[in-house]
Amino acid sequence: MAKRTLKARTPKTTNGTESGSENVGGLTRRSFLSTALAGGAAASGAYVSLARDMSAFAQASGPIVIGHHCELTGGFASWGYWHNKAALAATKMINEGGGIAGRRLELVTEDTESNPAAGARKLRSLIQRNRASFISGSVHSGVMLASIPVTTELKTVYFSTGEATEATGEKGTRYSFRTGTDTYGLAAAGAPWAFENLGKTWTIISPDYAWGHSHYKEHKAVIEKLGGKVYDPIYVPLDAKDLVPYLARIPQDTQVLFSVFFGALSIAFYTQAKSMGLEKTMKMYSVSGTIEAIAPADLKGAAEGVYIVENFPRMLKYKDDAFHKAYNALLGTDDVHAREAGSDKVNAKSHSWQSYENLFALKQAIEASGWKQKSDDKGVIEALEGLKMENSAGFAQGAKVLRKEDHSGMIDCYISRIENDEFHVKKKVTKEEMTALLPPRFDFSKQPL
Amino acid sequence: MTALVLALAVNGLVWGLIIALIALGLSIIFGLLDIINVAHGDFFMLGTVFVLVLTMSTGSYWLALALVPIIGFAVGLVLERVIIRPTIRQASLTIVTTFGLSMMLQEGVRATYGAQPRRMAPPIEGTIPLFGIDYDVYRIFAAAFAALCLIAFFAFLTRTKLGTWIRAVRHDPETATALGVPVVRICAITFGLGTAMALLGGAIAAPITTVEFRTGVDILPFCFMAVIIGGLGNLQGTVAAAVLLAVLEGVVTSVTDPTIARIASLGLMSVALLVRPHGLFSGATR
Repeated sequence: MAKRTLKARTPKTTNGTESGSENVGGLTRRSFLSTALAGGAAASGAYVSLARDMSAFAQASGPIVIGHHCELTGGFASWGYWHNKAALAATKMINEGGGIAGRRLELVTEDTESNPAAGARKLRSLIQRNRASFISGSVHSGVMLASIPVTTELKTVYFSTGEATEATGEKGTRYSFRTGTDTYGLAAAGAPWAFENLGKTWTIISPDYAWGHSHYKEHKAVIEKLGGKVYDPIYVPLDAKDLVPYLARIPQDTQVLFSVFFGALSIAFYTQAKSMGLEKTMKMYSVSGTIEAIAPADLKGAAEGVYIVENFPRMLKYKDDAFHKAYNALLGTDDVHAREAGSDKVNAKSHSWQSYENLFALKQAIEASGWKQKSDDKGVIEALEGLKMENSAGFAQGAKVLRKEDHSGMIDCYISRIENDEFHVKKKVTKEEMTALLPPRFDFSKQPL
Repeated sequence: MTALVLALAVNGLVWGLIIALIALGLSIIFGLLDIINVAHGDFFMLGTVFVLVLTMSTGSYWLALALVPIIGFAVGLVLERVIIRPTIRQASLTIVTTFGLSMMLQEGVRATYGAQPRRMAPPIEGTIPLFGIDYDVYRIFAAAFAALCLIAFFAFLTRTKLGTWIRAVRHDPETATALGVPVVRICAITFGLGTAMALLGGAIAAPITTVEFRTGVDILPFCFMAVIIGGLGNLQGTVAAAVLLAVLEGVVTSVTDPTIARIASLGLMSVALLVRPHGLFSGATR
């Protein structure tokens, strides 16, 4: 039939044979080619189908690949070291305990370089090349916010560990989750207490970047609602070395100086604020990010007296249980300063636990939903929405809930004061109080998948 | 407001003098060797790391301050021989070479010294009142010491035989060679001196700023701006431009936000390039 149709449309040559054809035993070159192509196409189709089946089989029975999107170099490298160590410890523990639903967990780590552009590029590589089924992600707010559109486009569950509230706010999606706190949660946890106990007139100084802006917005809302006064923010460029021009602009009648920095800028802030004697005239208040991976002792007194909102108390005695103790031992840190044995590194403890616990949260959701492969992601997402995590070896930070509506972790928080180079908890804000203080502002659970 | 402007102008002068020392090192390396040294900021970073490590091991900041430029000079000589000399006088190639060197220095420090930022306690404690703010005494010392180093360097350039040779090679290397000046050795010494100045700047700035592997990344653009505004290879111009830029940014920051202050600095650079394309002290051109 095909040959006849072909013949009817094909002009004849002068000797009566079809153009371009040589008739050998009733099989023309053209018919041979068309048959071969048809056969090849059928074989390719079968091969693709077989390969897909094989791939699905392999995916449904082989190791479960989880991508870890981590700041191993760049500005957040001192935090990334701990996020990586925590994720590796969790992977080892999960695999020694039989894996996830009987399948081995394979953790593939990519370095974001603490850079949103590089981070987004490497995230695609994790999902598309390394075939990561889930991602535990970045603590760098810029990288985190650049990652959410990518994971949403590639329909991949993504846990962020950064604090900018947008990740579980206006830029959040059905695929983005966060077990830790965001700026909304930190403001709700600490600002009312600080307003009552430290002062009513606030100045906020922070880096000129998403995390700082987010803190300013959330804290201003809380303080002004309570009847306090918040001066215009003082934003410091990320590349600033000399902070005196910014510190000098702090209004003299400020009662509470709320600072939000990280890494080198934190050191510069504490050092230079101390040298200007700011702590003599105002209370210094901050969040754990400002002094993450830093020991107050290494600041040589510059952080003495500062109030900090922690997510996981640095000292064991303020969450004194076997799980916390075992977690410290697993990461090789002491129970007072969270310093690594045999080195002077200090655990970025209020954040790095998320890289550890996110893997256990995924394990719980995968096993609860019966997930086998990518096409079963809906079940995992539904299992994560409202997931309850008990205080245990896998959730050493404490019991928590991943709230269904805004995919945010409701956790215990601690307001501590640095005294004699140690973090002493002054007030614990329970996860139940946090839930009451933080009405969900978004409902991602209604978004279609 | 006036007090704040004055305080920040003084602070700009202080910071500008420290930056000038670092930028001067960059300028002499470019002026003599045509090397666009992208790793210069990392030499500054090495200075902060070395001074902290030496202070912790010897117990004396002052001894560390004396040792760091000597170490810097030695590091510069080695790097010149191994990395710079094969690419000398090929400006575009030196960008690639020194960029690679920059990454090696940063990652080398991260791998050995660690990623966590650290504080270096100032060797001189205390503050003095300055236009309404308590100002760190160490900063005054740091600025005075940086100024002394700058004066000493210019005296060395103009009053010593070696300094004369450096200027001669910078002016006309072929004639200098013909007159028996050891040009290859002078190039190595110049690179060593430029490196030593960056490390010395780091040693002075360490108690003010932070010690970590990326400290040099942020300081480099400011140094390049000073070198460009001052005139490529123009040493006096570089110093003047560094101080001017720092004072201007400090003053503008006192009345507006840091983004506007940075735009003002860049605007100044553009105007300076238009009005005096060959540097601040080279005379106006049409």
